[in-house]
Amino acid sequence: MTDQTHTPKSGLGRRAFLQSATATGLAAATMPLGSRIWAQSGQVLRVSSYADIDALDPGFYQNGYNVDVMNCIYSKLVRYVPGREWEWELEAAEEIEQIDETHIRFKLKPGLMFTGGYGEITAEDVKFSFERVLEHDSPVKSDWGPLDHVEVTGKYEGTIVLKEPFQPLWSITLPYGTGHIVSKKAVMEATENGGDFGMTPPAFSGPYILQEWKPNQYVQLVRNPEWTGEAPGFDEIRILPMDDTKTAERAYEAGDLDFTQITLSSLAQYRGNVPANTVIEEYPSLYYVWLGMNLDNPALGDENLRKAIQYAINADQIIDAVYFGEAAPATGMIAPGLPGHRETPSVPVAGDLDKAREFLEAAGGPPSEPLTIDALNASEWKTMAEVIQAQLAQIGIPTQINVQDSGSFWTLGMESEGDRWKDMQLVLNRFSMLPDPYYATSWFVSDQVGIWNWERFSSAEFDALHKQALSETDTAKRAEIYQEMQALMEASGAYKFITHEGTPVMYREGLEPALRPDGRPLYIDFKGSV
Amino acid sequence: MLLYAFQRFGLSVVIVMVAVSILTLMLHVVPGDPAVMILGPRATPELIEQTRVAMGLDRPLPVQIVTFFGNILRGDLGQDVFTGRSVSRIVFEQLPYTLILISVSILWAATLGIALGCYSALRRNTWLDTLTGVISVGTISIPAFVMALYSVLVFAVWLRWLPAIGAGEGFWDGIRHLILPSFAIGISWVGYVARIVRASMLEVMGQPHVRMARAYGLPDELITRSHILKIAVQPAVTLIGTGVAHLFSAAVFVEAIFARPGIGALIVQAVNERNYPIVLGAVLVTTGIIVLATLVSDLVIAWLDPRQREEL
Repeated sequence: MTDQTHTPKSGLGRRAFLQSATATGLAAATMPLGSRIWAQSGQVLRVSSYADIDALDPGFYQNGYNVDVMNCIYSKLVRYVPGREWEWELEAAEEIEQIDETHIRFKLKPGLMFTGGYGEITAEDVKFSFERVLEHDSPVKSDWGPLDHVEVTGKYEGTIVLKEPFQPLWSITLPYGTGHIVSKKAVMEATENGGDFGMTPPAFSGPYILQEWKPNQYVQLVRNPEWTGEAPGFDEIRILPMDDTKTAERAYEAGDLDFTQITLSSLAQYRGNVPANTVIEEYPSLYYVWLGMNLDNPALGDENLRKAIQYAINADQIIDAVYFGEAAPATGMIAPGLPGHRETPSVPVAGDLDKAREFLEAAGGPPSEPLTIDALNASEWKTMAEVIQAQLAQIGIPTQINVQDSGSFWTLGMESEGDRWKDMQLVLNRFSMLPDPYYATSWFVSDQVGIWNWERFSSAEFDALHKQALSETDTAKRAEIYQEMQALMEASGAYKFITHEGTPVMYREGLEPALRPDGRPLYIDFKGSV
Repeated sequence: MLLYAFQRFGLSVVIVMVAVSILTLMLHVVPGDPAVMILGPRATPELIEQTRVAMGLDRPLPVQIVTFFGNILRGDLGQDVFTGRSVSRIVFEQLPYTLILISVSILWAATLGIALGCYSALRRNTWLDTLTGVISVGTISIPAFVMALYSVLVFAVWLRWLPAIGAGEGFWDGIRHLILPSFAIGISWVGYVARIVRASMLEVMGQPHVRMARAYGLPDELITRSHILKIAVQPAVTLIGTGVAHLFSAAVFVEAIFARPGIGALIVQAVNERNYPIVLGAVLVTTGIIVLATLVSDLVIAWLDPRQREEL
C-alpha cells in the first residue's frame, strides 16, 4: 500500500481542533455569502456506491453509504476536511468551543436555510436533532454517548451538555451521521412525534437536495436553490448503487462513471495499464481483518494452542494471495493515522513457525479433530481461509473451512441466535470503524461477549482502560491506552490481526475529488470538470 | 376450453401457496436474525427484541404463514424492514425491468432459434446445417453470466457502442441498455430452440398431411409456414414457457453484472439481509409469473393445435 507511508497523525486534540476551527470559521465569516458562490454549470458527476441507500434520517441511519448522501443534503456543525489527515472544520457552526469536559458551546452561521419554507437553521433545530436520537431510542444512539441535553441560549447559540466526558464526540459524532441537523418544524409535521422519517426528508439544509431516488438505479442530487453558502461543484450528482466493485470498474472503463472505488485485486492491473484520462490513488482503509478464536470452545481452551495458531499465520502471505500484495498489514484494530495505531504488533505480521511449533509442543500437540474456520462466502474470504488452512497444516493443525452467506455469518457468534456460538472455533472477521479508536475497542469489552465479541474475550483491565480512554483529553496518553488494549487482546491468544485492506480509487483527469483520509468520498466538496 | 383454463388457474393458486409456505419454512430454518440485520451492530439487545416482536418473528411459524396469506388477501404484502416502504410498491417497481429483460431475451431466443432451426431442417445434411448445429450447441454451453461479462468487455468497454450499466431513461435509451443483457440471456436459449425446432420440423415434414399438401401442388413456402412450422414450433413454445423460471435465474446474474434494477437482484439482496417481507413478496410474485407463463404456454399450444383444442 504505497500511499500509507504518509506520516501517521495521532488524531486531533481539542485544542488543535479549536485552533483550526477558529481559523476556518474566521475565514468563512469574513467572506460575504453571496461572493462565495462558485459554480460550474451543466456538470453531472456520476459515481458508484457499494449499496443503495436505505435510510435518510440522520438520527436513525445504519450504514455509511447513507451518510455519503446526508453529507450533501443536510448541514452539521462541523465536518471532516478532505485530505490525507483526519481534521475537522466548521460547517454550519460559526464558532464552536469545548468550555469544559462536559460542555460544548456553539454558535450557528446566520442565514442557513431549510428548504420548503421552514426557515433558518436555529439552535432549537440543533437541540431537536441531537436529542431525538436519544428520545426515540435510535439504534445509533451510542454515537451520542453520554449526551444529557442541548441548552438553547439564543437564536443561533447553544450548549451541548454531556453527563460525562466523551472524546469521540469530536471525531465521530459531530462531523458524521448523527451530527446532521434537521428542521424541527418540518420533522414534527412529517412524523408527529419527531421520530424516524425514513426515506422522505421533509426539508433539506445542504448545498444539494435529493431530486429523485430510483431504488437500485440511482440517487439524483441537484443544487439546492435556497442554499446561501458556497455553491457546490456540480449541477447534479448521480450515485449509482453497485454491490460488486468489479461491475463499477467495468462501468468506469466504459465511460459510464467518473469516479469509483476499485478492488485491491484490480489495482496492480490498473497501475500497469491506466485507463485513458484517469488518475489512480490509494488511501488507507479503516477496515480491520483478523482471525478470531473462541475462548469458550473446549478445543481452543489451551492458551499455547491459540498462540501456536497466532504464530503460524503469516499475514504477508495472506495479503499476497488475496490482495496481490496491495493491502496494508494490520498491527491491531486501529488503522494508521488514528490515535492508538501500533507500529508493530506483539505477534509478528509474518508469524514465526519455530515459535509456533514450540507453543504447539507446549500444548501437547495438535488437536485430534480438525478445527473449523468460519468465513463469508465471497471469494476473497474463501481464499484467505484456504491460505490459513495451509499455514496451519505446516505445523500439523488440521482445519475445515465453513463458508456462510452474510445473513448467516453475521449472527454466528450471537447468543441470541441459539447455540451456534458454542461450536464456533476459528472465525475470519472484518469490521469497519469510524475515525476514533473508541469505535474499534467498544466491540471487545465484556458487555459485548455473545453479541459482537465473538472471541468471548473478557478482561477487567481492558474494560477499565476502555472507559478511561473515553474521557482522556491528552491525545498521546489516549493513544497509549489504546495501544495497551490491543496488546491485551493479542496476549489472550484469541486474535491474529491480518490486514487493514486499503481503498484504491480512480477518477477522470480534471475532476478534483474530495476524500476522507480513508478514501471515502465527500461528494459535497467534489469539484472540477468531468 | 374455459373449464380447462379455470382448472389450471385453481392449480396455479395451490402451487403458489405451497411454494411460499416452503420458502417461509426455509427462511426460518436458516440462521440469521432479521432484527439484527436491520438494526445493525450498535442496537441494544432490548431494541432488537422489540423489533423482533414488532415484525411478528416471536410468533409460531404456522401463525406467521397464515398471517402472511391473510395479508395477501387484503392486498398487503407488508413493509420493507429497512426503508419502511410498501413491499408491493418495491416489487412492482422492480418487476417491469425483469419482465422486459426476460421478454426481450425470449424474443432473441424465439426469433433467432426458430429461424436457425427452420433453416437447418430445410437444408438438412448440408454443411450449413452442420454449422448451425455447431453454433446451437456452442450457445447452449455458454452460461448467461459468461456471455454477459464478455459482451460488456467487448461492446461497452472496448468498442464503447453500448452502455455497461443501468436501465436507461426514456424509450430509446432503455432499448440501448437492454440490448446486451437481453442478448446475454437469450443467446443460450437460441441453441435449445433451434435444435428443437429442427427436430420437430423434420418429424412434421414426413407426416401425411404435409405429403398431401405437396401432392396438391401447394407452394413450398406456404406448406412450410402453414402446415409444418405451425406444428413444429409447439415444443419450442412449451420449452420457453417452462423455461421462464430458468430465465429468472439467469436474470439474477445478468442484473448484477449490468447493475440493472430488477426482481432477481432484489431477491438476492433481500435474502442476504434476511429482509423477509421483500423475499416473500418478491417470490410470491415471481412464482405467480412462472405459473402463469406455464399456463399461457399450454393455452397457446391449445390454440395453435386444433386437435388439442378439440380434446379440451
